[in-house]
Amino acid sequence: MRDIFKLSLFLLVVAGISGAGLSYVNSLATPLIAEQIRQNKIDSFKEVYPQSDKVENESAVYLKDAHDPALKEVNIAYRGGMPAGVLYAVETKGYSGTISILAGFDIADSRITAIKVLSQTETPGLGAKAKDRFFQDRYKDKNTTLPLEVTKTAPVKDNQIQAITASTITSKAVTKGVNAAREHFNATFGAGKKQ
Amino acid sequence: MSLANEFTKGIIRENPLFRLLLGMCPALAVTTSVDNGLGMGVAFSVVLLASNIVISAMRSIIPNSVRIPAYIVIVATFVTMIDLLMHAFTPALYTALGIFIPLIVVNCIILGRAEAFSGKNPVIPSIMDALGMGVGFTLALVLVSAFREVLGAGTFFGQTILPENIPAIMMILPPGGFITLGCLLAILNKIQKKTA
Repeated sequence: MRDIFKLSLFLLVVAGISGAGLSYVNSLATPLIAEQIRQNKIDSFKEVYPQSDKVENESAVYLKDAHDPALKEVNIAYRGGMPAGVLYAVETKGYSGTISILAGFDIADSRITAIKVLSQTETPGLGAKAKDRFFQDRYKDKNTTLPLEVTKTAPVKDNQIQAITASTITSKAVTKGVNAAREHFNATFGAGKKQ
Repeated sequence: MSLANEFTKGIIRENPLFRLLLGMCPALAVTTSVDNGLGMGVAFSVVLLASNIVISAMRSIIPNSVRIPAYIVIVATFVTMIDLLMHAFTPALYTALGIFIPLIVVNCIILGRAEAFSGKNPVIPSIMDALGMGVGFTLALVLVSAFREVLGAGTFFGQTILPENIPAIMMILPPGGFITLGCLLAILNKIQKKTA
């Protein structure tokens, strides 16, 4: 009986010391991690919509009605106090998991400024190439009028996106996500907006 | 056994990956690029060093019947600290290694060293043991990942070194991991036999 108390007490002390050490390291790391996440977000905003003074998350305003579940966030990029661009955070189902994408649109020109794959778990060497610049650049400056479609050969029309070789599912997933953002953009900010 | 011996045994004679065949899971999963292999090896070595020091310093006060839970608490503490620090200071590596950082907790090499060595030996030899095993495991991961990255992606440390049509994507997919590891083990066994 006495042994059980001694042993439990020993483990309690070990766990207590570990807990104290961990909470100290956690208190050191948490602000740094939060800062990192914030900085990452600002950097991705800059990458997807470069010409803005500030970006505000206005999901509460634009996503309050029923919307495509792929849309996660609507951020408005302001230039000189006027809304100039829209940055959508979308999530879409890829070949092996969720792909989250940031897609930027210019309101004046009704075009895609750039897209960026924020996180993905696609196959290394194949679908994971979706995060490479060369693929993301295929969406650059696309007009928003027509739905984007994936082709396996070099694109001949403006709304065609060439798939990553041997990764059609991933390419289609990314395109589907961008299309979801594009539709919301057209309906809300495009030429035929309902205001 | 001399201190130098404690250090060198982990690199060749008792290399955790190639000779003891421990730590297979991270060795197959994260070795898709040399960056990842090296990062995993270093994170692993830091945890092993810290846990070996603490466990060997406490070896006389840890009651024998609860030594395994005590070891696991100590190892888990260090892993969580490394996890937080990597997230804070090396976010790119943290994202690349993902789930395999928390999984160092149940890495059999660390628990194996605690059972086989640091639970029975003084601090200084335990440090040498941890350094040797750490270097050995890191070298092994780097070797496996070098083969896989060069043959599978045609790059080395992210620098392209092979023309685009040579690399076989299979090498950075799971089968490539098994094939690389199997071939390396066969070659090392052959060398070992000759010298023995």
